[in-house]
Amino acid sequence: MTMPADPGSFERVAVLGFGTMGAGIAQVVARSGRGVTVLETGDDRLADGRRRVEGFLTDGVGRGKLTSDDREAVLRRITGTTDVAALAGSELVIEAVVEDRDLKAELWPRVSEAVGTGAVLVTNTSALSVTDLAATVPEPSRFAGLHFFNPAPLMKLVEVVRALRTAPEVITALTGFCESVGKTPVVVKDRPGFLINKLLMPYLNDVIQAYDDGLAIAADLDSALELGLGDRMGPMTLLDVIGLDTHHHATTSAYEATLDPQFAPPPLLSRMVAAGYLGDKSGRGFRAGGGLENPTEESS
Amino acid sequence: MTPPFPMTPPFPMTPPIRTVGVVGAGTMGSGIAVVVAQAGYRTILRDLDEANLARGLDTARGFLSRSAAKGKLTPEQAGSAIANLSGTTELGDLAGADVVIEAIFENLGVKQRLWADLDGVVSPETMLHTNTSTLPVTGIAAGSKGPNRVIGTHYCNPAPLMKLVEIARGRHTDDITYQRTLEFMATLGKTTVTTKDQPGFIVNRFLIPWENNVLRALEAGLGTVESIDLAVTSGLGHPMGPFRLLDVVGMDIHKEVAMRLYEQFRDPRFAPPPIVDRMVAAGDLGRKTGRGFYTYDDDRLFGA
Repeated sequence: MTMPADPGSFERVAVLGFGTMGAGIAQVVARSGRGVTVLETGDDRLADGRRRVEGFLTDGVGRGKLTSDDREAVLRRITGTTDVAALAGSELVIEAVVEDRDLKAELWPRVSEAVGTGAVLVTNTSALSVTDLAATVPEPSRFAGLHFFNPAPLMKLVEVVRALRTAPEVITALTGFCESVGKTPVVVKDRPGFLINKLLMPYLNDVIQAYDDGLAIAADLDSALELGLGDRMGPMTLLDVIGLDTHHHATTSAYEATLDPQFAPPPLLSRMVAAGYLGDKSGRGFRAGGGLENPTEESS
Repeated sequence: MTPPFPMTPPFPMTPPIRTVGVVGAGTMGSGIAVVVAQAGYRTILRDLDEANLARGLDTARGFLSRSAAKGKLTPEQAGSAIANLSGTTELGDLAGADVVIEAIFENLGVKQRLWADLDGVVSPETMLHTNTSTLPVTGIAAGSKGPNRVIGTHYCNPAPLMKLVEIARGRHTDDITYQRTLEFMATLGKTTVTTKDQPGFIVNRFLIPWENNVLRALEAGLGTVESIDLAVTSGLGHPMGPFRLLDVVGMDIHKEVAMRLYEQFRDPRFAPPPIVDRMVAAGDLGRKTGRGFYTYDDDRLFGA
């Protein structure tokens, strides 16, 4: 592994996956002036991803956050490909594909072969073990986690996950890279949920259970925790934004990895996912679409 | 300032609220007195102890004067609020109160005795508000001959600055008291949420396990005080990181509230982790002692 002369410069960056997170990360990196190559499985998916970035940037232009020239420049720096070989020469690879261990484990060796052992490899996983994914490539000391939060262009925090075998200079380089793209890096251990989700998931589960127990209506739980605890967005609204299926998947993974009951998905969460009440994306959730038809709430 | 009246009283038999008694001149009592006096009510702050009362009145008046100096109130508004505010050590002086807000020591027996003492003093229509944070409203109400008029109204500290008041009905609280309380809170400019009479209501019910989890994360080496505060402020958008907040709250207070909730829920998530006892023993209580998770040059708490 050869580190860049300026730790964290990483001029050529590859992003694997052009979904919500991949698009957001590609945009963040391209805005810093770097060229980004995004790998997807088909041209339609590449087009979808590019539309995501365009949409986000156009909103930004509308809100006066950037000029239309900036938007065009950022879009020019992003190249899509469906060919793994096109990633050759990348100094940093950021993987943001679906949270499926087998899929990631199949993809990484192919990507590693294309980019060679000189590249630093990171996964944006939120629910899987970084150390486990690192074992799928030669020289796992250059493999780490780089956990962006959704929406990546707006959220300042990035968790830099130190896997068991990650080399210290890789962590230093990634920390510098995060700062150079305008993010706030925090180095964390490779544990389920890392730091923020380890704290957030039990809290969200606890609120869901209390809601099901009728402690208060969803709107009052949100107001109390916004005004009293300082949440920027109350937990019920936040769950609708995250997606109940996404939270369910993340907290179930953490539960399976730890058997810690704090992570066990509350029964109401599982039932809402089964009913298709996924939050904003499906138009119905704890607050979205007026919430539940038959709320268990019975306070006041 | 004209006294506020409920816009359309749904219960014409109940008198409009003009006079409010606040019992207990500590941090919460004096803060609540500021809120009530500022809303235009005649406000009588009562404390058993002359020195406590004087300190509480000073705190309340000082807050109002500083608010005027900072331009948050006009001199007339501050002057009128100060004029609305008086103090007493005699419970009998609360005889004309339409609402009595109890903000005394968190002890069930003491609170029950206060309501019992007030039975012979206030009118049978006076609403009895308890600012308990961790005790059962129903248990406190049991001290009164009119438990139907007792309701939990939990203000956040500092009361003049925090908008939220949690409203919790006890088992016997009647609808009239609940409705009139919501209207009264609206005249105070507060945002209310309605919750069950359960330990910690909403905010402390979630704040305590949250802070305990953050403390456990620190003990487990998942981050440093600084990195965890940074992650929470930048990742979750909290205005203050959890360790900064604990320093403001005070480790002794965190321990006290956590233990009270733990004793009632018997759920280990509420039990304070070992670091809490260690820091309390060391006197590292936070801002008030100049040292907690961070060190402080002064011991000033939140001002106006």
